[in-house]
Amino acid sequence: MYYFWVPFLVLAGIFVPLLTRSLSRSHSAMATAVLPALALILVVLDLPLVLEGNSFSQSYDWIPALQLSLSFRLDGLSSLFAMLILGIGLLVILYARYYLSANDSFSRFYCFLMMFMSAMLGIVMSNNLLQLWFFWELTSISSFLLIAFWTHRSDARRGARMALTVTGAGGLALLAGIVLLGQIGGSYQFDELLAQADVIKQHQMYPWILGLFLLGAFTKSAQFPFHFWLPHAMAAPTPVSAYLHSATMVKAGIFLLARFYPLFAGTELWFITVSLTGLFTLLLGAYMALFKHDLKGLLAYSTISHLGLITLLLGLNTRLAAIAAVFHIMNHAIFKASLFMAAGIIDHESGSRDMRKLNGLYRYMPITATLAIVAALSMAGVPLLNGFLSKEMFFAETLEQSILGSLSWLIPVLATIAGALSVAYSARFIHDVFFNGEPKGLSRTPHEPPRYMRVPVEVLVALCLLVGIVPGYTVGPILDAASLAVLAQPLPYFSLAIWHGFNVPLLMSAVAIAGGLVVYANRALLFRFQSQFEEVDAKEYFETTILSLTEKARALNQRLENGSFQRYAFLLVIFALVLFGAPLLKLADATGSQGVRELNGAVIVGAVLMLAGSLATVIWSHYRLIALLMLSLVGLVVSISFAYFSAPDLALTQLSVEIVTVILLLLALYFLPQETPATRTRPIIFVRDFGIASLLGCVIGGICYALITRPTDSISHFFIENAKSGGGGTNVVNVILVDFRGFDTLGEITVLGIAALGIFKLIAGMRLSARNRDGAGRLWAKERYPMLLAVVSQSLLPLSLLISAYIFIRGHNLPGGGFIAGLVTSIALILQYLANGVEWMGQRLKLTYLYLVASGLAIALLTGLGSWLFDRPFLTSWFDYFYWPWVGKFELASAIAFDLGVYLTVIGATLLILANLGKLTTAERLTDGDQ
Amino acid sequence: MEAVFAACVGFMSACGIFLMLRGHTFTLVIGLTLLSYAVNLFLFASGGLKIGAPDVLGASNDYADPLPQALVLTAIVIGFAMTAFAVILAMRGRSDSGNDHVDGKEPNLEWKEPR
Amino acid sequence: MLYGDGLSALLVCLSCLLGFCVHLYACAGDDQRGPFFHPLFMFQIMGINGAFLTGDIFNLFVFFEILLIASYSLMVHGGGKAKIQANVHYVFLNLIGSALFLFALGTLYGATGTLNMADMAQRVALLDAEQQLIAKAGALLLLAVFGLKAAMVPVHFWLPKTYASATAPVAALFAIMTKVGLYSIWRVHGAIFGDYAGELANVAQPWLWPIGLATIALGVIAALASQSLRTLISNLVIVSVGTLLITIYVHQLDATRAGVYYLIHSTLSCAAMFLLAGVFVSLRGKAEDRLVSAKPMPRAGLLGSLFALLAIALIGMPPLSGFVGKALILQSIQQPELQLWAWSAILIGGLAALIGLSRAGTTLFWNTSGDHPEASTIHPLQITAILLLVISLPLMVVFGGVLTELSDTAAQHLHRALEVETLLEASQW
Repeated sequence: MYYFWVPFLVLAGIFVPLLTRSLSRSHSAMATAVLPALALILVVLDLPLVLEGNSFSQSYDWIPALQLSLSFRLDGLSSLFAMLILGIGLLVILYARYYLSANDSFSRFYCFLMMFMSAMLGIVMSNNLLQLWFFWELTSISSFLLIAFWTHRSDARRGARMALTVTGAGGLALLAGIVLLGQIGGSYQFDELLAQADVIKQHQMYPWILGLFLLGAFTKSAQFPFHFWLPHAMAAPTPVSAYLHSATMVKAGIFLLARFYPLFAGTELWFITVSLTGLFTLLLGAYMALFKHDLKGLLAYSTISHLGLITLLLGLNTRLAAIAAVFHIMNHAIFKASLFMAAGIIDHESGSRDMRKLNGLYRYMPITATLAIVAALSMAGVPLLNGFLSKEMFFAETLEQSILGSLSWLIPVLATIAGALSVAYSARFIHDVFFNGEPKGLSRTPHEPPRYMRVPVEVLVALCLLVGIVPGYTVGPILDAASLAVLAQPLPYFSLAIWHGFNVPLLMSAVAIAGGLVVYANRALLFRFQSQFEEVDAKEYFETTILSLTEKARALNQRLENGSFQRYAFLLVIFALVLFGAPLLKLADATGSQGVRELNGAVIVGAVLMLAGSLATVIWSHYRLIALLMLSLVGLVVSISFAYFSAPDLALTQLSVEIVTVILLLLALYFLPQETPATRTRPIIFVRDFGIASLLGCVIGGICYALITRPTDSISHFFIENAKSGGGGTNVVNVILVDFRGFDTLGEITVLGIAALGIFKLIAGMRLSARNRDGAGRLWAKERYPMLLAVVSQSLLPLSLLISAYIFIRGHNLPGGGFIAGLVTSIALILQYLANGVEWMGQRLKLTYLYLVASGLAIALLTGLGSWLFDRPFLTSWFDYFYWPWVGKFELASAIAFDLGVYLTVIGATLLILANLGKLTTAERLTDGDQ
Repeated sequence: MEAVFAACVGFMSACGIFLMLRGHTFTLVIGLTLLSYAVNLFLFASGGLKIGAPDVLGASNDYADPLPQALVLTAIVIGFAMTAFAVILAMRGRSDSGNDHVDGKEPNLEWKEPR
Repeated sequence: MLYGDGLSALLVCLSCLLGFCVHLYACAGDDQRGPFFHPLFMFQIMGINGAFLTGDIFNLFVFFEILLIASYSLMVHGGGKAKIQANVHYVFLNLIGSALFLFALGTLYGATGTLNMADMAQRVALLDAEQQLIAKAGALLLLAVFGLKAAMVPVHFWLPKTYASATAPVAALFAIMTKVGLYSIWRVHGAIFGDYAGELANVAQPWLWPIGLATIALGVIAALASQSLRTLISNLVIVSVGTLLITIYVHQLDATRAGVYYLIHSTLSCAAMFLLAGVFVSLRGKAEDRLVSAKPMPRAGLLGSLFALLAIALIGMPPLSGFVGKALILQSIQQPELQLWAWSAILIGGLAALIGLSRAGTTLFWNTSGDHPEASTIHPLQITAILLLVISLPLMVVFGGVLTELSDTAAQHLHRALEVETLLEASQW
């Protein structure tokens, strides 16, 4: 068995045109054809076994979690399709060699074509349904590329996009259907699912699965109401149409129906949906084809109609109908491909496809004309041609079926009408193009095409005749095998003979031919009738639909995403409020078991100050300086309350951060408007914000209350017990910071360092104007650097450095530590900046703060890494006691080094921020002074 | 006392959040600072409130929960970094767009006081 | 205290791969558009990896802040009014988010007395009824916080403008940022408050379902409305967030596995697309990446193929990794009552991506006006970086078996990590 290699051979063929792009066009085409030809030979080699009615499959694991396996299957149906795909594909390669002009990129075309061919082969040979879907979507993608091959043409782009959107949407439905089927059947392997067909048909999800599968199939096969994309896909080069829109792409949907026939068919739902969709498409396509002046447009609608016919056959509840469907798949592929190629030749050699201009071409290209006439007769269903045979079977089956109950007689009648219409448009194709006077207004004189461009048409037309005259010998065996795969049960008797005697189907054929000729003869009447209706351009309609969809989306989105921070913040706060507050509604009593303690005076004073300060900040928030002052009052009370509630470290930190923050905000305020602009917020927004802020405040307060009135069974005793023994310090908070939770501290100084970098980045591109006068036009200050301040600050500097050193050293055992020490040092240095200016400091302090930050971080990190040397986890601290003469016994801990890193980073980052900002103000003041 | 403490935290949070819902960057920064005071107190209190029990071994017999304190220290530092960045960003926004509204432009549809 | 399991390891690998490629791209010149690009970039990756690796919830906060402050700074890289403006929103929203994070942590600590994830997971099941309510409030507030980072509805509005205005490598790196938020939801709400949390089991689940669906819906609407490629990708990021939220909601081993795979796929493909969009911006002059007719780009064949491949991946079509992720997710949703909504949402998300990206592609490459393009100015490093990312996508399909196995391990670790002792042992102080 060789079939496993078939898709891969063609897949490898994608690269051939790319590798041979430097060769001549003929050579490149030949090289491209080698691999598909080889693949075709492999399929033919496997044919004898298939014809015996066997089916084979081979699987390899691919993604077990997805149950996606590399799994191919060969049976009659896939063999038939593979031969059609490869055979017609080879002819198209030859044809395209002559069709494409020198400006078109050959390698690109062949590359896409091979991609498409391998995807199609993948579909028809897949045994794993997910793999089938994989290739299914690949055909959508590659057909998009092929249809849009002439990318400069807007109709090609739009047609391709439409085809992709419709078939892509169908593909998504198909995926859902496949996964659903897999969940029910427990497998994606076709043969395993086949074994439980009855279970699936009984399952309650069966209607869903069927609906999703049919969506996939109908979009791909251009069945009503998804047929509209196909005519616009005609913007593709004709070889593409000949291939995709006769034998392959659109047949993928039909293939899906045929492949799943044994799994899904047999229920009322299947028969009704499939047959009625097919019937309607058959009639609609045939009727519309009549009015197309474009040759390819006519063929496109005729294709829709024939696809409808096959769909209808698959939906009829007679045993032979499926066989007729398979037969017509084959016949339609053959005659329609040849017709498309003939239309392409006519277009190529006469420069037009408009049947109002093309007349009497028989004189100019007799051989092509003869070939096209034979193919068109086959399309019309004239005896001795293959189209006749399957159409005859079709008519016979419409008589046998009983799906519409007492209205079932409607189907043969409508089928005959459709047959007549099909004869009419075929007659128009033959008569209008090749006879009926002389060509009108062609840009050039039509002539026969190059010899080899006609060969593919000749081959296909010969097949039409062969199959039409001796069907039993030519296609009988493969038809049997393919039908067996579709029906999955022993075939009923049927005869492929041309002559079945005088019977009703023959009468229907005769009526159809006669009726069709009558319709064609009276076409002027019909055209007038049709002209009353406004023609709907599906492309325009589709575009406007998509456009209005995007417009609506845009309008809606603009209302939602209106670019207002206040809305986004409001949404965030209300989201948080709902999530945070909802559980509290169930909390019966907020007061916990620990109860509450008595109030005392200090707490009352603090609380009043805090509340008043906060309130004042809000009320005077428009007067920014006052708000800032009020804010710093609150901050002060906060740090005092830390001290009051046994957290001296926090109090110190809060206080020093407070100072730096206020300096920073004051500096910033220098550049910002002093007052918030007086435009008032709308009252409703104001009330809304007020309400939500109060509510969230209540929730936060409530939870805080609930927490502090409850005892916590926390892990803190661990820290208290181990601070001395494990971390070597008595200040538990500091030990936690530099040892137990050193990671947090490393992270926090990293944040500080990054902030300094980011602020540097922000300041680098800043252009600001600042005033040196207040609102009344007075100078901010008479002296730039007040003498008194300079003197005092300079004398304070050594003292503050000493204090910071003290705080630093005692940190491990008493409140203090690197962070607070760093801030104290920073404040002392900032004071120098304030008093003496940036230049003065720049001359004296030759420190690059950036390096200070970097070295601080590096020291902290290295201290942490150092513990690896001793085979301990990152940031484990080490300490020991030493005895130095004169000094006495003292402790040395690696945590000191870590704290040093913190210290340096804090100084570096703080000064990097403030000094840079200060530089800006200085620059401003200098320019102002010059004026 | 617990109720007063919680009320203070809640009230400060409410004030901070209200200010953070306003439209100008400096007000936001003020609100942010206020909110972070509240956050720090909240986080600090999550381990319970104790008076006269600093976490220095040997200083007393009772110890306050040291872990929240360590967390608050980290939070203070991070909050400082964030505030600093935010305020400089506010200045940069002013320098780029000419005003300090948070959306980069003063809304022109804003409600005018009826006369 | 760091802790790594299968999930963390996989995600750290992802962020490093992404970081490498994006860094390569940035070295082509984007790094010179402002000071300190490289250290900030590394800090950002440090924050991301730290968040993936930490086993302590306050530590998670610290790493969040590291990655946030780094992202604030990277956001303004390259300068320009639009960046600053978007950054103002981004920064202030996240500052509120950080404050809420701390409220949530305080609440959780107050209720459970611990910050260690494994310890907390053990304690939540043992809380008394009132403490449970408090812990629940904290857990849900954390959902809001993580939701902000992950860009879930209704707190997703900051994302499109932020991502669309950032410099290409920064936007590409940001592609993993929403995933950090999602990862945290997985860790905290899927594991600590997961199946073994007693009364508090799966507290976030009731919220995740409607939020996930709404996120996809609003993402789809915004994607259809997008008028530039970068906005379109940003909105597709939101759609992918919604999709992942649904897998978190489903909360079964299959779903988590599917989610992990999809997360990797979506990060890589979105990042690559952001990088490619950056190339377009530099080539199309004033038109930037807006979907309007402009002069043709040089080397359109190469760029077009890359775009087509990435579009296929983002839509979720074969042969690239998107389809595996999508099919895995569809497969993992087995309850019929969920299927209708979740499947429709996910498939419609794919369709919207298809419509949006095919429109974008045809406009960018085929709807060109004017003369021949100017001489090529694409730096080879940029192409290399994009190629590396693009190649990883088919590899994710070819070696899909291995990768899904890794995702499976990750999912298993996530689901059982907190019931076993290993984590506690690993988390000795």
